[in-house]
Amino acid sequence: MAEIISGDGRTHINSRLMRESLQNRGVLSQTESDRDLRVFPDVTLVSIGGQSIFDRGKAAILPLVEELVQIKRDKSLKMVIGVGGGTRVRHTISIALDLGLPVGGMAQLVGAMEELNAILLNTLLAPHGSMPMQRDHFWDLPLYFDAGITPIAISVPPYHFWEPPPEAGHLPMHGSDFGLFQLAEVLGMKQVIYVKDEDGLYDKDPKKHPDARRFGKITLAELLPQLPDDNILDRELFHAWSHAKNLTRITIVNGLSPGQLTRALHGDDVGTVIVKEPA
Amino acid sequence: MTAERRTIESALAGSAMTGPGDRVDYRPTAVMPDVKVVKIGGQSVLDRGRAALFPILDEIVAARKLGIQIVILAGGGTRARHIYSIASELEVPTGVVATLGKYIPMQNARMLQMLLAKHGGIYMLPDDFEKLPLYLQMGCIPVMSGMPPFGYWEKREEGSRIPPHRTDAGVFLSAEFLGARRALFIKDEDGLYTDDPKKNPAATHIKSITAAELTARGLPDVVLERVVIEYLPRAQWCKELQIVNGLKPGQVLAALKGEDVGSIIRA
Repeated sequence: MAEIISGDGRTHINSRLMRESLQNRGVLSQTESDRDLRVFPDVTLVSIGGQSIFDRGKAAILPLVEELVQIKRDKSLKMVIGVGGGTRVRHTISIALDLGLPVGGMAQLVGAMEELNAILLNTLLAPHGSMPMQRDHFWDLPLYFDAGITPIAISVPPYHFWEPPPEAGHLPMHGSDFGLFQLAEVLGMKQVIYVKDEDGLYDKDPKKHPDARRFGKITLAELLPQLPDDNILDRELFHAWSHAKNLTRITIVNGLSPGQLTRALHGDDVGTVIVKEPA
Repeated sequence: MTAERRTIESALAGSAMTGPGDRVDYRPTAVMPDVKVVKIGGQSVLDRGRAALFPILDEIVAARKLGIQIVILAGGGTRARHIYSIASELEVPTGVVATLGKYIPMQNARMLQMLLAKHGGIYMLPDDFEKLPLYLQMGCIPVMSGMPPFGYWEKREEGSRIPPHRTDAGVFLSAEFLGARRALFIKDEDGLYTDDPKKNPAATHIKSITAAELTARGLPDVVLERVVIEYLPRAQWCKELQIVNGLKPGQVLAALKGEDVGSIIRA
């Protein structure tokens, strides 16, 4: 039975955090433990790149949709799909930068561009069973999986007008790669697979440098000190992952090479596999 | 068949957007620079009820009648601490804790709206900034939750399960988006102290300090959420955080008129 406590002018409910400052490090550490509850540990999140796949049009999109249809035949594979926005996001932000819009304004605008790709993908995948998932309607996921429906999630996180001032430069730090990472992390999913147009993560941009070296299987701790400045995933993703408790595996595969996504979904080491070992 | 990327020409075309993106000349435009973004604390004010709150609202209404444009954001308080405490025992992820944390400031905002309705108090959803010009031109006092909408997307902080962005962060980030120079926090202390004055009577008051100086002190406790102090130096607009004691008559009105009462943390 909750106990109501007063006497200092305020009315409190008795709890371990009662009267405490939630800025106090000692108080905060009492809320910590070495694990986070995992809600959906058997689900894989598949992120399909905007610039890398969708901006290439039909020739890149249709074979990937065909692969997803084949993957869906195996009902034991539970997946959620998210998509990036690509060149339209870059155009939006370029204009917004020139107009001097605040970073929160940019963050509020970009989600619409990802959504266009989500609608396209759903239009192609719906006959085989897919549905756009509302922002945070995660608790519908068991129903989706039981019914053989693949949910297509919103990838840009809802930082919107409240996007924090960036550490450097003027761009929002929380993009679609980060948003999908965080979705998988908070729900304790099995892995995230980023489908891009390269065979994985390279030490420099392989489109500009023929001598770029691909990372194979690597731990997050090994990767962090050698993370390239210009890389194909949001920088904030790696930062957030290093403080996170749940997600242990991120795979980056080439969506232009048929079969790579299927193998990654089955847990094969394909493309670049980044694993996080328990601290 | 080759599948080339079809790119729209722009300053960021082809960019991974993981770098700083400084190839564009950026001259920031303020959205609504005259707005005063004001937080009413949960534990410090609302949990004290009528005795503390009514005089504060009187001063806010008086300021509004002087033509000062005010947006009120509500804090959480003891009910937030209660749910955070139970959620922590259950080891739920920070994103779930942040989602739970949205509900109490929302209740508090609704309470404030009911009290202010006769003076133009209007409840506003977090994504309704676009309607602010109308509300303010009509003389309204918009009231909203201070909690940022991050919810399940709130990142975990090292050594804590509590969401690092709570209602102080929401106030600062709202002021920064709107282009307001100063954010005002109404609490139950005169501002910043060298330690928690409720627990340490020897704590002394700090009238003005920079974010860097405050961080360098390495205090075990601070009056505002740490992320706000971290973000302040890199803000484009919101360069000052003012903390006033709402229990002292006249402080809120003085602060709304732009006077340097209480404590001020500067970028």
